[in-house]
Amino acid sequence: MKKYFLIFALSFIWINILKASDPAFEKAMAKQIQAMETIQTLEESQKVSNTFLRISEAQPEEWLPLYYAGLLQIESAFRFDVDKDQAFEQALEYIEKAKKIAPENSELTALEGYAIMGKISVDPSNRGQSMTPQAMQLFGKAISLDKENPRAVLLMAQMEWGMAQFFGSGSEKACGMAKMGGDLLRKEKEKITDSYIMPTWGSRIASEFEKACQQN
Amino acid sequence: MTRQLYLTALFFLIHWGAFSQTIISGKVLDEKNLPLPGVNIYINGSYDGATSDADGTFEFETEEEGSQTLIYQLMGFKNQEFTIVCNSNPIAFQDVSLREMITEMNAVTISAGAMQASDASKAVVLKPLDIVTTPSAMGDIIGAFQTLPGTSTVGNDGRLFVRGGDASEVGIYIDGLRVGNAYGSTAGNFPTRTRFNPNLFKGTFFSTGGYSAEYGQALSSALALNSKDISPRSQGDLSLLSLGGGYSHTLSSAKQSITVTGNFFDLGPYQKLIKQNIDWERGPHSWDLEMASQKKLSDGSLLKVMARTESGGMKLWQKQAGQEGRGIYIDLNNRYTFAQSNWKKAYENGWTLFTGLSYSNNTDDIFYDSVNLQKNSKLIHAKFTGIKDFSDRISANSGIEYIQSGYSEGIVEANLERDYVDNQFYGFTEWDFYLSKKLVFRSGLRAGLSSLNKESWIDPRASFAYQLTEKGQISLAGGTFSQVPVENFRVLNPDLKNVQSKHLILNYLYSESGRTVRAEAFYKSYENLVTFDGLPLAPENPINEGKGYAKGMDFFYRDSRLIKNVDFWITYSFVDSKRQFDQYSTKVQPAFAPKHNFSFVAKHPMQKLKSQLGLSYSMNDGYAYTDPNQEGEMNSKTLSFQNLSLSWSYLPKPNLIIHFAVSNVLGRENVFGYQYAQTPNASGVYESLPSGQAAPRFLLLGVFLTLSKDKTANNLNNL
Repeated sequence: MKKYFLIFALSFIWINILKASDPAFEKAMAKQIQAMETIQTLEESQKVSNTFLRISEAQPEEWLPLYYAGLLQIESAFRFDVDKDQAFEQALEYIEKAKKIAPENSELTALEGYAIMGKISVDPSNRGQSMTPQAMQLFGKAISLDKENPRAVLLMAQMEWGMAQFFGSGSEKACGMAKMGGDLLRKEKEKITDSYIMPTWGSRIASEFEKACQQN
Repeated sequence: MTRQLYLTALFFLIHWGAFSQTIISGKVLDEKNLPLPGVNIYINGSYDGATSDADGTFEFETEEEGSQTLIYQLMGFKNQEFTIVCNSNPIAFQDVSLREMITEMNAVTISAGAMQASDASKAVVLKPLDIVTTPSAMGDIIGAFQTLPGTSTVGNDGRLFVRGGDASEVGIYIDGLRVGNAYGSTAGNFPTRTRFNPNLFKGTFFSTGGYSAEYGQALSSALALNSKDISPRSQGDLSLLSLGGGYSHTLSSAKQSITVTGNFFDLGPYQKLIKQNIDWERGPHSWDLEMASQKKLSDGSLLKVMARTESGGMKLWQKQAGQEGRGIYIDLNNRYTFAQSNWKKAYENGWTLFTGLSYSNNTDDIFYDSVNLQKNSKLIHAKFTGIKDFSDRISANSGIEYIQSGYSEGIVEANLERDYVDNQFYGFTEWDFYLSKKLVFRSGLRAGLSSLNKESWIDPRASFAYQLTEKGQISLAGGTFSQVPVENFRVLNPDLKNVQSKHLILNYLYSESGRTVRAEAFYKSYENLVTFDGLPLAPENPINEGKGYAKGMDFFYRDSRLIKNVDFWITYSFVDSKRQFDQYSTKVQPAFAPKHNFSFVAKHPMQKLKSQLGLSYSMNDGYAYTDPNQEGEMNSKTLSFQNLSLSWSYLPKPNLIIHFAVSNVLGRENVFGYQYAQTPNASGVYESLPSGQAAPRFLLLGVFLTLSKDKTANNLNNL
């Protein structure tokens, strides 16, 4: 009887230990990633972002929570009325921290480029000159780190599109890249399960490109 | 009994494992006790936590047990931590107020006298790109600053004149290190330019008074140029101008980059084509080689090296008033070398260390009539500074400096030579105290010692800034400033004391996105100005007997929102200056300090034409001069100076720019003063010649091509 009790008790302890290990992390992440989809206000964005930061604090060896916290900062700068420069700087800070955990990571590199792109958008005429090459280089590096990263390709397509607009040149290159990004995104979809917590965003950009490129 | 024990144990285990939940609630306030939303409140090391609502309240459940750390965290605020004990009893936590961190982004900055050209800060008067796109500037750094408040344009000189001060009163620094002979050598009323290409710099700090104790040997103004960091990519830049051309090649990797540039200019062919007012024998010509390198070291510090060497010259005839013929023949040859290196590192513990060394060497070999005059200036500047951020509220910047300044001049035929070497030592410390993010005090002290005139001095300086409204602020700055006299006086009289000036400046700055309004009033006194006997070309017996003042106000308004697709700024500066200096025996209005100065600059991008149009207009009410046919000194004034310049930049391809600029489109015959004969003619009149422009107009056509794997690169910065 005593033996059974011990097994019984140990099994509970085991469950308690498990709580702090991966399935819980993945579950918590999955929940927040789901919550990201429905963000409508700055407050909601802040709540989700704060939760990612809490997860990051509790699991300092994981880069993904910081990645999503950074992504939320960038997106909130584009969507809501916030101090844009400050938000992009904050995003870069999270990315910098995440890069220390996962150096040479394609997703983080692409996200860094996205934040730089955001900074350019605040003052394109003055920042474009010096920061465009920086963003392009980051997207290029992200692609070379992972040729199947649809976000890196789509973001680079966005830069190409913006430059084609600025210089009044053709958008074929941008559209070609966007198509490639869309294909990669579809390929990525096959991998996605309920517990998949790696970045999967980008379909909105891809579909916007589809529309814009058809018009041309 | 055992059975019961098992059950109890089981109950506890289950409870501990799954059902022990503590509810934690509370409220977060800011410093003014207003609710603070968005704060992340969590138990350290767990996922449990919440974000405060609009009313500052929060509530969450945790399954953690026992003693835990509760953290309050919000970007831009100081974290707060508390120890709590979780034992499934609800915890209604006390109200917590978070204190906002004072950062560069949110704190008031001292704006008195200061104007920044930078990409980073929002309250900027000038953007780095403006330096190359202001039409009247013709790509010269100084040219762009001449459209800013507090400056005056002296068209036959080209240097920067600030608030009644002469050109030597502007100290020019690269990465905090002094640059000797920053302007090219020139002769015969042909205006000079800065030697340094604007595309070397990422930003500039320009002060028209009351500046930091970090800068010395600058009586009126400090112009600090900050060199670029590591280049983002490898590329080649080719520039072809109507006056010459050059090629620049950059090699870049993630950790380091190097740019090597070579240029050649010759104004001769251009001046033969377009009518000139100057009687050229050989138009200005020069070549230069430049190297700039940046390296990120493994410890995270940044090392920069910059070097430049150039050679140039010109030959011309300077007509003399009251004399027949072409006048005096001047043949100028110049050699110039500048090199500097600096190292900077920011440490985690709040220290930032900087150390640097610069070297300038300028040689002028001049034939004036038939006299061969040789002049050489050398400057070495060594500097070590440490900045310590004690907290977000107190920081200190201190440093020590050594300057060795040597000068020699001689007449070759006569075997005459005189020279001096001066060793100067400096120490400075400056403290910033943020009482809140709206109020900052700065106090500094700069001490100096010169071996040549055996003088030591202390210059105290202080300033403060207060944020009045969300977008408006006032700022006050004052202090004393010292400068050793200029070289050609010191070589005659090494005992000459320092020239001194006291500044008091009151500034109002309003800035919002796309709009800046700036108003400033100032008073400046001058003591120990150098006066001499004889003429400026051959001064005798210089002594520190002069004094003077400058007072006035200036306004600046920049707007890129008012008119769609137009970015413009308007500047008006009023300067009332009188000083006894140089050959003058009374206090006079200096020739370089017109009373009313106005400029207007506008830029209009035209997306469809792939072009940008630029316009700049400057005027002042005229320059004072002495007419010997009348009583007194500085008894006359020239007609008003006016200059309308236009530019057109065309970008047919991302890597190609065609730039065209014309100065003085209206062809106004501007006169900057008059040169009088030294003796009256037969009818008792001193004859005169106007000192005018080198040419009615100046035209510049340039083609800039960037060669890079990245096709979007272009060398807009080289314009």
